[in-house]
Amino acid sequence: MGLNADMVRSAIGKAANTARLIEGELNEADSRLGDGDTGLSLRRLLERLETTVRPDGNDLGEIFQVLAAQSAEATGSSLGTLITIAMLTLARDTRGLSELPWAELGDRLARVRDAMMSRGKAALGDKTIIDIIDSVAREVAGLQSADAIKRAARFAAHLTLDNYRRRPCRVGRARMFADKSIGMDDPGMLALVRLIDGLDEEVKAG
Amino acid sequence: MKKLMNGADSFVDEMLEGLCAANPELKREGPGGRVVRMMAPQGRKVGIVSGGGSGHLPLFTGYVGRGLLDACAVGDVFAGPSVAACTAAMRAANTGNGVVRLYGNYGGDRMSFDLAGETLAAEGIRATTVLGIDDVASANASEQEKRRGVAGIVFAYKMAGARAAEGADLEEVTRVAAKAVAQTRTIGCALSPCQIPGAALPTFSIGEDEIEMGMGIHGEPGIWRDKLRSADEIADEMVDRLLGDDGFKSTGRLSVMINSLGATPLEELFIVYRRVQHQLQTRGYRIERALVGHWATSMEMAGVSMSLCHLDDELNALLGAPCDCPFWKN
Repeated sequence: MGLNADMVRSAIGKAANTARLIEGELNEADSRLGDGDTGLSLRRLLERLETTVRPDGNDLGEIFQVLAAQSAEATGSSLGTLITIAMLTLARDTRGLSELPWAELGDRLARVRDAMMSRGKAALGDKTIIDIIDSVAREVAGLQSADAIKRAARFAAHLTLDNYRRRPCRVGRARMFADKSIGMDDPGMLALVRLIDGLDEEVKAG
Repeated sequence: MKKLMNGADSFVDEMLEGLCAANPELKREGPGGRVVRMMAPQGRKVGIVSGGGSGHLPLFTGYVGRGLLDACAVGDVFAGPSVAACTAAMRAANTGNGVVRLYGNYGGDRMSFDLAGETLAAEGIRATTVLGIDDVASANASEQEKRRGVAGIVFAYKMAGARAAEGADLEEVTRVAAKAVAQTRTIGCALSPCQIPGAALPTFSIGEDEIEMGMGIHGEPGIWRDKLRSADEIADEMVDRLLGDDGFKSTGRLSVMINSLGATPLEELFIVYRRVQHQLQTRGYRIERALVGHWATSMEMAGVSMSLCHLDDELNALLGAPCDCPFWKN
């Protein structure tokens, strides 16, 4: 068993629903470190992906390519462009596949992490979404079932968010007041944790 | 904060609709209409394309016009333009002689323009990149490559645009854009914040009697925050900081831009300019051209930015060359 097209479509729907529920929470988190619009931007992007993801087709690469194209059109925020890069990377890596074995998911996420680091000019430890992707990729590596992967991903994502809360932001606007960012969640990291939570259960509005 | 709008989701698109309706020489195209270009083609020449978040008019979109930008990719408020918009803007600006990407040094913008450039390279479109890095408060002089682009990028638009209009090739237009950036320095000072449509809170909070020196155009933290001082004291510090920076070739000739961040009125800008002119002339500088007004804003933020562009004969001639866009006519 592994990841298939229906699961990706379902995940996009859940992510859009989660984004609607956490829009206010993310905006508030971002207002402490940034412009205050992360929730708004993420909700707009995921609603766009939700409405345009094709209901048919089994090729994972094609589905991720459509999502990448839509994302590339819909957003220019740093977080949104990193999501575009993730979709492009997954599209390249799953072209022609109708199913990605669960055991290979960690490796694919590691490639997404590497692409994000290369494009985004960020490093591990900078307190960005890339740190969550890294920890999840390592935690789910080799796991063979969807349930085990979801549990491991949630554990890794929350642990990383908690660990990084006490660290300073090293990139983006928040690097300008790194000391002030200690004790606060990076809005992109918080968003990804909530989206991972939302794959398992409905997230409560923050 | 109170805003005249119909909704956060439609804010940018309705703004662009109105901008193009009021200026029929502009038109929207590309994905979601997020590219603004000139209605009439300017003939075969090097294209100059820029892009950035909304909320800064006239920057970036307002400088599309003859002798300036050929196309601009438009993002949401304070967010970079999408990869697709950057790609479409570069295609729109390309007439076969190549394209200069001239935009501010922000992470999201860089990622989008880089990805767009790779797509178009496969189509055979040649492109170069020049980043606006004029904000002296955003990094030390020894790390100029980390600085943000703010109002001073307008000088690069003007000078590169004038050289492109003369029929220069891609390498020459790129050289002029890079030279204009290298010769320009900016610093801002904020008095009150702005708020993105739909955001929970203003971009920052500041006391009624406080100012922040060095604040960026998205509310990025500055150098210091303290009690409000007189216009002359603020102007003096800004002049000192800009002239005290490194890396430009001083010629004794300057263009001075005194820019409102949005809410600060022309009256206050001229009070600042008066002092700046006095200070510069006292030090022996000649001001070739003064630009006082709204050049690069931050929604309803109150405050001022000052840019100094160190001119030589070449840059001065390009600055005075003909141009025609909704917000600048020579």
